[in-house]
Amino acid sequence: MSDTTPVMEVRDFTMEFGDKRVVDGLGFEVRPGETFGLLGANGSGKTTTVRALLGIYTPTAGELLVHGRPFDPAGDYSLGYLPEERGLYRKEKVLDVMTYFGQLKGMERSRAALWSQHYLERVGLGDKGNAKLTTLSGGQQQKVQLGVTIMDNPSLLILDEPTKGFDPVNRRLLLDLVEAQRAAGATVVIITHQMDEVERLCDRVLLLKDGRAEAYGTVAEVQDSYGAGLVRLHFTGTLPEPRGWRPLTLERNYAEIELAEGTDAQALLRQLVDAGVTVRSFDAARTSMEQVFLKIYGHQPGEGAA
Amino acid sequence: MKLHNLGTVLGFEVRRTLTKPSFWLTSLSIPLLMVVIFALMFWSNSSALSSVDTQRGEKQAFTYADSSGLVSPTVAAEMGGTRAADATAAAQAVREGRAEVHLDIPADPTREAVHIVAEDVGLIQSGQWHALARDLLERSASERIGDSRLVGVLTGVSTDAELWKDGHRSPGLAAAVVPGLFLVLLYMGVLMLGQQMLNITVEEKENRVTEMILTTLDPRVLIVGKVLAVFAVGIVQAMVLLVPAVLVGVLFPGLLGAATAGPGNTLPADEMPPLALGGEVLIDPVRIVLAALIFTGGFLMFTGLLVAIGSIMPTAKDAGSAFGAVILAMFLPLYTATMVINDPTSVVSEFLTWFPLTAPVTALLRNALGLLPVWQGVAVALVLFAFASALVWLGVRLFRQGSISYDKRLSIGKALRASRSRPGS
Repeated sequence: MSDTTPVMEVRDFTMEFGDKRVVDGLGFEVRPGETFGLLGANGSGKTTTVRALLGIYTPTAGELLVHGRPFDPAGDYSLGYLPEERGLYRKEKVLDVMTYFGQLKGMERSRAALWSQHYLERVGLGDKGNAKLTTLSGGQQQKVQLGVTIMDNPSLLILDEPTKGFDPVNRRLLLDLVEAQRAAGATVVIITHQMDEVERLCDRVLLLKDGRAEAYGTVAEVQDSYGAGLVRLHFTGTLPEPRGWRPLTLERNYAEIELAEGTDAQALLRQLVDAGVTVRSFDAARTSMEQVFLKIYGHQPGEGAA
Repeated sequence: MKLHNLGTVLGFEVRRTLTKPSFWLTSLSIPLLMVVIFALMFWSNSSALSSVDTQRGEKQAFTYADSSGLVSPTVAAEMGGTRAADATAAAQAVREGRAEVHLDIPADPTREAVHIVAEDVGLIQSGQWHALARDLLERSASERIGDSRLVGVLTGVSTDAELWKDGHRSPGLAAAVVPGLFLVLLYMGVLMLGQQMLNITVEEKENRVTEMILTTLDPRVLIVGKVLAVFAVGIVQAMVLLVPAVLVGVLFPGLLGAATAGPGNTLPADEMPPLALGGEVLIDPVRIVLAALIFTGGFLMFTGLLVAIGSIMPTAKDAGSAFGAVILAMFLPLYTATMVINDPTSVVSEFLTWFPLTAPVTALLRNALGLLPVWQGVAVALVLFAFASALVWLGVRLFRQGSISYDKRLSIGKALRASRSRPGS
């Protein structure tokens, strides 16, 4: 396997539950070292795709490969998986649970225990190793959960709604840990509704709609394909008739203008000047991922039917 | 099936159970309770025996009224008795605390009870007054008959039967002991470990751990590892129960035997009947092998059933309600045991013998009593193994489907349809 071999490959993946087709002919790949975002409204097939990739579901059709072969729990992977539905053995001691997961991931028992103790000290839970998980606060349990996910510094991290239910402190901790793993060369797959996280973290994204790929590419490519851009404008005067653009927000001296495909910001600026509008500030940007989401799904991320 | 991580699962499950104080408290509470009960029985028996010995060795002052004329004044005097001139006054003296005991012997003691008016010296010690009355009459009768063997014949003889069947010596109940132990073992195993087996597939679901676990091992490994862990814990629990009992039996052989005597038993320790454990136990290898096979098949069948139930249910609470049905299936054959023993070839007996849920108990019972033909025992064991395999297969498939069905009960039909529609599943 060369360094350019995709870490994940999905080809013609179809998944049906009874008569219901949840994913329909999906295909994409995740390259080594990149941070890949799997996006979509609730029920669009994101979690199903990840579960099928990890062998939890067996696909109705298609091929799903991790490191060039179907996922095998007994395989020699270095995987950290944070599922959407997550928890730990609540009645057991923190260190015992972390050590157990470390062993399941292939670590020696003593090394897993040592790694866990170091991690607990790093996140301020050094004295909680022998405490039962159920005695920890929700935030502390989240830290343990994160520790289990990144145990032994995995080369592939799959995070399904990683910040869901996390408090701001742990959200920050999670993002820092992900960034550290990424900097160390890990491949990261994030399934999320948080579009700001996508813009900040992801190199490439796939947007799923009703089990099909709606958009796929780098963040910039996807943004560009859903609008030439966005202009934030402070002005005095009256805006001319829209030609190749439309105002999303229009106030007395402020407007947010969406550019149509084929229209660039320079053309808009020229129209405004020609119309006698006094431009006090002109801030051109790409269409935000939140707006892309809104265009595709017709509602804000996190809203809509499950 | 790859056994990847089987040892890790087994180690974690066994370790976390055996390191819980609650496990040892629960497990040790039973032998401790047994020790307390045996100690109480031993103490009460010793008290009764010592009171009898005391009575025999020392005179017990008492008064008596004899309407039968059977009481020998000589014997009574030797025992410390005085014939009461006025029975009513003698009884009243006891009631007022001026005397300890008064015996009122009726005209025909074989038809009417001897009325005893005596001081209450405790629930156990008061048994001595009954012993005193019986002793007085037996010794008086013995003196009159003049032959202790005749007295013995009248007070009870032991019998020993030699039974034959089809030209072979029939081992009788003595051969039922060892095969019967497998029946006891089955009940103990399912009652003590059943709830844990039920929880095997529920715990990961309840704790939302399933997905993380399934990326590290095959679901079959998880289930097999957890079942093996329950077996291992069960063996430890059985040892905790049995070792103290065996040690007590070996170190204090008289303790258990003596404890079987009640307050009314006046036999001295050296005249006690032998304890069952120390009595004659015949070994019938065929019946024992059959019992072992039926036990193993039955235990695996109940394990598979409980694992399958746990795979469907979303929580331990939901699964617990199904446990009652399993227990009912185990106890049903006991209610019909008389019918099965009296007519082992009846339709009801045959149905209970072959129906998988009632087969283990019914077949083990019939086998222990020599009422199950060998071919039938082997066939029942095979049916149980087949049924157990099918249930474990079903349980694993249901677990694959149900393990991430976090909040709702899994539909078996849907799960199996989904399982069939997926290549490689």
